[in-house]
Amino acid sequence: MPGLGALRAQDRPHVVAQNTRLLQGSANVDSALQKQEPNAHRWDFAIAYRHTNRRNDCIYWVEMHTAIDKEVKVVLDKLRWLRNWLTGGGKLLNQFERDFIWASSGATSFTLTSPQVKQFAQLGLQHKGRVLHIPNKRPS
Amino acid sequence: MATLKIHNLGQIKEANLTFGDLTVLVGPQATGKSIALQLLKLMVDAGQVQEEMGRYGLDWEHKLPDFLDVYFGEGMRSIWQEGSTSIEWEGKAVDLQQVAKRKRPNKEESLFFIPAQRVLALRDGWPRPFTDYTPGDPFAVREFSEKLRVLVEQEFGASGDLFPQERRLKREFRDLLQRHVFSNFHLKVDKFRSQKRLVLGTGEKDSLPYMVWSAGQREFVPLLLGFYWLMPPTKVSTRGHIRWVVLEELEMGLHPRAIAVVLLLVFELMKRGYRVCLSTHSPQVLDAVWALKHLRENNATAEALLNIFEATNTQAMQELATTVMKKTVNVFYFNRETGLTSDISDLDPSAEEDGQAGWGGLSEFSGRANKAVARIVANTDQPCATETDKSDKAVTPAVANTAPELPL
Repeated sequence: MPGLGALRAQDRPHVVAQNTRLLQGSANVDSALQKQEPNAHRWDFAIAYRHTNRRNDCIYWVEMHTAIDKEVKVVLDKLRWLRNWLTGGGKLLNQFERDFIWASSGATSFTLTSPQVKQFAQLGLQHKGRVLHIPNKRPS
Repeated sequence: MATLKIHNLGQIKEANLTFGDLTVLVGPQATGKSIALQLLKLMVDAGQVQEEMGRYGLDWEHKLPDFLDVYFGEGMRSIWQEGSTSIEWEGKAVDLQQVAKRKRPNKEESLFFIPAQRVLALRDGWPRPFTDYTPGDPFAVREFSEKLRVLVEQEFGASGDLFPQERRLKREFRDLLQRHVFSNFHLKVDKFRSQKRLVLGTGEKDSLPYMVWSAGQREFVPLLLGFYWLMPPTKVSTRGHIRWVVLEELEMGLHPRAIAVVLLLVFELMKRGYRVCLSTHSPQVLDAVWALKHLRENNATAEALLNIFEATNTQAMQELATTVMKKTVNVFYFNRETGLTSDISDLDPSAEEDGQAGWGGLSEFSGRANKAVARIVANTDQPCATETDKSDKAVTPAVANTAPELPL
């Protein structure tokens, strides 16, 4: 869907693009793959953005989730599912530069210096606060 | 609550500080944290400061620039901007010109200042007297040093042992300090060619003089003596009329395990009724404040707080934790770019405002490291990260134009 249209209304405030015209579209991964993979821990959203310093789009794979200890396993299971899916049914999307983002939809019990956040980083997952800011230029 | 408002003093454009039972100042180097804390001392103890400086022959001739040089240190007269600087203490405007001109009534001292430069307080293993410094050295350093000298001479002169000392600090603190700071060493007074000095001993005969101490040991011993001064070996829980304690950069030279013990000692000061102000560059200090806040909000037990510090769950420590969890804590961030302070007491890592989320810069580096690692790991297993098609057109992942096989 265009822009952030695929995101639920309550989730849209959690994503702020510096230039909304660079948004290439979004998809609700969870509902789109519900029939094919009804029992999987499906990821939430994908957002495509054309950074001004990139020739191709980048995809922000965003999971909106309460950032507390007992939800860690759930989110990491979703990440594992997503990465597997990207090498299989989603392999066309696997070629795009990306970030895997856990955006906090509510309470947050992790600090930037938490060992859990470092564990996430080692799995390729960034833990963001409540808002994902997408800048015009993507850092190298 | 006591409040201090500062406008255009040194690097500080605007600071609005409200002091809790514990107040923590964070921010990059040279943003005015120390100026604010030394100013607090002046607001609380102007008369005592004037008296003390006069006692040692300092005469600023009622001139504010000279007073600022003598009090804050040589060259610090430039922090005052004529016609622009303003200060408000507890809601009332303070004219520093008048503080310099007129002698304030000398009340009993009520703020004890442990400066960041405390390592200078010991020379060759003995505390330096006030007069050992030059007139350009900050008053806070000179006074702290003098207090330690009097403490060691008067309260430890007869006995050689400073640490461990049964009459000083609760057993729980002594055990933690022994484990995480002193190891097998004990601190004592001995003599070398009739000159008393502090040494670290490993046994009856072996003594390590000051010059062979580690950097951490040199930083910690003046801090320990500061705690001894504040916690007299009597049934009275506080020293004299002291109600405030300022402790700059408690983490200096210390391993995180030692920092944890010092934080517990800060809690002990709070339990005794002192109002404590810290400045810090240590994320661990804010970790402790952040944990305290959430434990309090969630009605956690005393044990939950003690576990963070690996402190024994004795009755004394439970009382300490229970008391501290009821105390108010404020955190202020001194922003270098703007010269403004902001209240970041929530320490919310999800906050939009960078100063709060990044804890005044203390967790920024971790955040960038996490991001860099996450980004590179996220992009390592893909066959071609930035490949374009042969026509040199950019590739869009057809997110906007979904096909049935590709739900995205």
